Amino acid sequence: MSSPLVLLQDQTRRHFFRRTGLGIGTLALANLLQQEGKTGETSRPDDPLAARSTHFAPKIKNVIYLFMCGGPSQVDLLDPKPQLTARNQQPAPRSLLEGERFAFISGVPQLLGSPHAFSRHGESGLEVSSLLPHLGSIADEIAVIRSLHTEEFNHGPAQIYMNAGDARGGRPSMGSWLTYGLGSENRDLPGFVVLLSGNATPDAGPSCWGNGFLPASYQGVQLRPQGEPVLYLSSPEGVRPEGRRVTLDLIRQLNEQRLAATGDPEIAARIASYELAFRMQTSVPDLMNLADESEATQRMYGAELGATSFANNCLMARRLVERGVRFVQLYHRGWDHHGLDEGSDLLHSLPQMCAETDQASVALIRDLKDRGLLDSTLVVWGGEFGRTPMIENREKGANFLGRDHHPRAFSMWMAGGGIRQGITIGRTDELGYNVVEDPVHVHDLHATILHLMGVDHTQLTYRTQGRDFRLTDVAGHVVEKLLA
Amino acid sequence: MRSHDLRRGRWTALAVVGLLLLTSTGDAAEEPGRFQRDVEPLLTALCVDCHGPEDAQGQLRLDFRSTALQGGFSGPAVVPGQPEASVLIERIKSEDPELRMPLDGEPLSAPQIAAIESWIRQGAVWPESASAGAPPEPHWAYVSPVRPTTPTVQQTDWVRNPIDAFVLARLEREELKPAAPASKEQLLRRVSLDLIGLPPTLAELDAFLRDSSEDAYEKVVDRLLASPHYGERWAQPWLDGARYADSNGFTNDRRRTIWPYRDWVVQAINDDMPFDQFTIEQLAGDLLPDATIEQRTATGLHRNTRYNDETGVDRDEGRWNALVDRVATTASVWLGTTLACAQCHNHKHDPFSQKDFYALLAFFEPTDYTKIGEGFETELIEPVLDPAPPEVQAKRRELLAAAEAIESQLDRQSPGDNGSDSDDVRDQLEARRQELRDEVDAISREYPTTLVLEDRPTEQPPTTELRIRGSYLAKGAAVQAATPAVLHPLPADAPLNRLTLARWIVAPENPLTARVIVNRDWAQFFGRGLVATEGDFGTRGAKPTHPELLDYLATEFIQLGWSRKSLHRQIVTSAAYRQSSLADSAKWKQDPENRLLARGPRFRLDAEVIRDTTLAISGLLSRQLGGPPVFPPQPELSALKDHGDFDWDESEGADRYRRALYIFWRRTALYPPLKNFDAPTRDTCTVGRQRSNTPLQSLTLLNDATAAEAAGGLVRRIVTEAPTADVAGRAAFAFRLCTARFPGEDELDAITATYERSLRLMQDDAESTARIANEHPHSGEPTEFAAWFLVAQSLLNLDETLSKE
Repeated sequence: MSSPLVLLQDQTRRHFFRRTGLGIGTLALANLLQQEGKTGETSRPDDPLAARSTHFAPKIKNVIYLFMCGGPSQVDLLDPKPQLTARNQQPAPRSLLEGERFAFISGVPQLLGSPHAFSRHGESGLEVSSLLPHLGSIADEIAVIRSLHTEEFNHGPAQIYMNAGDARGGRPSMGSWLTYGLGSENRDLPGFVVLLSGNATPDAGPSCWGNGFLPASYQGVQLRPQGEPVLYLSSPEGVRPEGRRVTLDLIRQLNEQRLAATGDPEIAARIASYELAFRMQTSVPDLMNLADESEATQRMYGAELGATSFANNCLMARRLVERGVRFVQLYHRGWDHHGLDEGSDLLHSLPQMCAETDQASVALIRDLKDRGLLDSTLVVWGGEFGRTPMIENREKGANFLGRDHHPRAFSMWMAGGGIRQGITIGRTDELGYNVVEDPVHVHDLHATILHLMGVDHTQLTYRTQGRDFRLTDVAGHVVEKLLA
Repeated sequence: MRSHDLRRGRWTALAVVGLLLLTSTGDAAEEPGRFQRDVEPLLTALCVDCHGPEDAQGQLRLDFRSTALQGGFSGPAVVPGQPEASVLIERIKSEDPELRMPLDGEPLSAPQIAAIESWIRQGAVWPESASAGAPPEPHWAYVSPVRPTTPTVQQTDWVRNPIDAFVLARLEREELKPAAPASKEQLLRRVSLDLIGLPPTLAELDAFLRDSSEDAYEKVVDRLLASPHYGERWAQPWLDGARYADSNGFTNDRRRTIWPYRDWVVQAINDDMPFDQFTIEQLAGDLLPDATIEQRTATGLHRNTRYNDETGVDRDEGRWNALVDRVATTASVWLGTTLACAQCHNHKHDPFSQKDFYALLAFFEPTDYTKIGEGFETELIEPVLDPAPPEVQAKRRELLAAAEAIESQLDRQSPGDNGSDSDDVRDQLEARRQELRDEVDAISREYPTTLVLEDRPTEQPPTTELRIRGSYLAKGAAVQAATPAVLHPLPADAPLNRLTLARWIVAPENPLTARVIVNRDWAQFFGRGLVATEGDFGTRGAKPTHPELLDYLATEFIQLGWSRKSLHRQIVTSAAYRQSSLADSAKWKQDPENRLLARGPRFRLDAEVIRDTTLAISGLLSRQLGGPPVFPPQPELSALKDHGDFDWDESEGADRYRRALYIFWRRTALYPPLKNFDAPTRDTCTVGRQRSNTPLQSLTLLNDATAAEAAGGLVRRIVTEAPTADVAGRAAFAFRLCTARFPGEDELDAITATYERSLRLMQDDAESTARIANEHPHSGEPTEFAAWFLVAQSLLNLDETLSKE
């Protein structure tokens, strides 16, 4: 009666009935039922929603997405441009500016060569900024995409676009789509977890991990390193686990009696939800306890007990993936280098941001590898857009260096299962302004990540407002060159 | 099947046509069999795959003469006698590969084209016999409802009003029997939750149980319809559609003041304002002659669009996005139409062209805004209604200007720059600023401003530039304001403005509005609309389960003078509504969604109702109506608190326990207890909520501060109000508060046994006892209080407590 059919990401049976035959994403159910099989439960023969196979065999099981809020500068980090350096302080070619909209640049700005050096690494000879020494050390294990482009050039909309493939709001994020499509391997934890460095939310706020029109079950759940890790996880003042058990036992008894009286299968689902909630009250604090990691591991990441750093969150991401959480997203703010003050300066702040993230990102990859998890996990690093090759001229005569928002070309890197290693995909023009080879749109990125997870992005759909929606809208191509 | 026949052997057909054409006789007099010989094979082979029964692209079908003559989005495909006026000829002869038909196919040969031209010139004779079956009917939703005759049924004594005849006729056709009537307790709780969003009090319950008069139930219904809480409950789904929120959305998600619009909605519903008037005032109240403050407040509906004040945003694009949202919302809320699809292209399935979308947008084009500044300094100032007398308005402006001056003085002065003198000055300035703010707040409490719509005066009828593929930067042809061609026409000489549009929406001949509204209200009562896709009445939406009932209700609604209270009275007094929701599992399996209505509704309550019910049961609920939004407690680290420049200044006293309707609705970080129970962010219009079931919901209702306070409140009532002080008496009292019924014997046993277990636990755990008891106001014995606390938490979390049965 209290079948654990209902997972954290389960939606109600009746809800499924409402959607059946109307383009429901069929994977979701298939996985629910497979999960059910795995735990030795028999799937109900009277269930009208027969199990269906997934689209194809997945290359990976997990995604750890390191979201760098603000728009890291590609020409200072991952996409070296000698011509830009050579033409430093020359006026930007008019051909680049005609008809363009910028957030802050006006008139004819000057080109700005990177103030930071690049060097080659590994057999692949990948060129990365000297600000990213750790990344350089794993050059042959990552793939760099230098040809990303997006549609939005303001932070909020662009962050939502990068997560949901649409800037209008009200659409599910990639993590929600995947949780809806694939379910969760861990019955005691949410399937989609979000961690924020220093508790700083991205510009677009929790909409970044919103469930949009999908049921609330698929929302990303924010884990907090201090205080209550999950909202409402702690019992009320004075209620100990034994007391909580008293409350839950009565809920269960009375709900079972009501189930018998009304016949409403929904009640069985409610019973399971309360039991899972109880298990979460134990499993989440266990998860959060970084003290059971060795000192060497903590040191490798640069993690410190009790901190809310990116390093701690990277370590937490590994623990989550170990426990079967499929989609983990980290947000790290501060890449919005406009050059207005020291905190947004390419000479001061950019090295600081790199120092905060480089070691831990790479430690995460090494640690995953050591534990045999890297083959089944994709690590993605990137922001919502790039930055202009031109200096931002908002504050005339300012003493700081900065660049404006740039949606036309930016870079990301990936590591882990399913992708070719030691490669660079795409090329920008000599100034790093436009993509000239192998453009990768946000929809393509999404299609590729879904593909690696064994999901055909054109088939993972949800019907609402009169049509079937998908993460990639009506576009998106898998980036074949990226695949191993 | 005809469609399969049509598809067989496209290439064979072509070859045959080619042969036949060699012997064609050109433009001779009309000859019998010519269509079948020269034209139909071409249409069949080349056209009807895309313009036929399977897929009427561009709303064109070429498998019937009537549909070919009627044409699609591009105009009449065939004009008899005039090949030069026939779009069919234009498109098969076009040089433009984007336009030439068949798309992606070889162009027709010259003799083929000549044959079709000749056939059209001869009058386009198309014998009936050539088209098998009947010509396609227009989609039901685009044909005005006709009041159906009430069906005759066998079990006549079950029928209380016409609704029942329609429901029962369907049940009898399926050889099903309706369920028994609900118990009086179940019925009273159901109708209270449905009409006012609150459970009955025990006094109301006892009064109803005692009242054995014939019309006891009808009296209850009248009482509930007259309650001011009726408007609060029915405002909630309306505000989902209106995307009402207290913040701008997007990155900064700052606070906005538009709650007077929310209060207007509550009041209008309580006044039973006829729905046509309710519509006109919200869409165009400002354009009514001598518009009142209330009528202008009503136009806040379309000021609920989001606003991105992030620096660097293109303000004109932001305004455009608001216009697009106004069209999409109007279409969803009133027309049950997914018109947003037509922003980028002609609607794939429904007869709405991209031009229709922008023609509707043109009605909103003059909605005013003033642009100040240039570049990234640009701000849009849109109209705000200030209801204060002129001298108070002037005073408010003066105070705000003074506060702003201090603000910039403070900005110039960096803290800690020049020692303590400057700190003193700073303190003084800050104090003065606070005084000024307090004065402004005092005025705003008396005369709250609110966002409203206004038109710029225009000489010309509004036009709008179509956007190619919906892209803001890709401007296309200018489009004049118009309503969609497939629906009823506008009055010939009406001015093209929002008022005309609003009147068109509620014109009795509009096939959609009345159906859409009665269906949405029906879904509130039964958990599912007669059309399950509440926001989509198009060809891909769900078919109505009871089409005649839907049309009866739609026509009845208009006959009742668009009175929603009358409509609701008729629904809740029907026998269909009054059925028991208990059913055996066979009935559940047979019809899990209750599409056939063979039992009463049973489903989880909405987010707001769960909060309100919990507070009502515990005795904490504040029933105060209206006013500025409130800020109930939420966890310290909730995203609401740390995101953006915003202060969640926790409310004190009774405001902590106001109905959920009044909770500050922050779009990017909705109050988590609402969010977790599927309340939408209201970034955009939502009709028909999700109903999910997750452990986060369980955690919320067990551990949230308000949930714990509610459990404490319930214990206080148990201890002080239960009719008898024994454990069983108290248990029954508490159970009844939560479910409106007395517990069964097994249930009572379970509760009393649990209480004893809880009591033993607390007796052995002095610390727990003290911590629980000290956390909540209480009188009496702490062990007892703490023991009941655990039980009260159970009862507030029962599926039955959280459900409407």
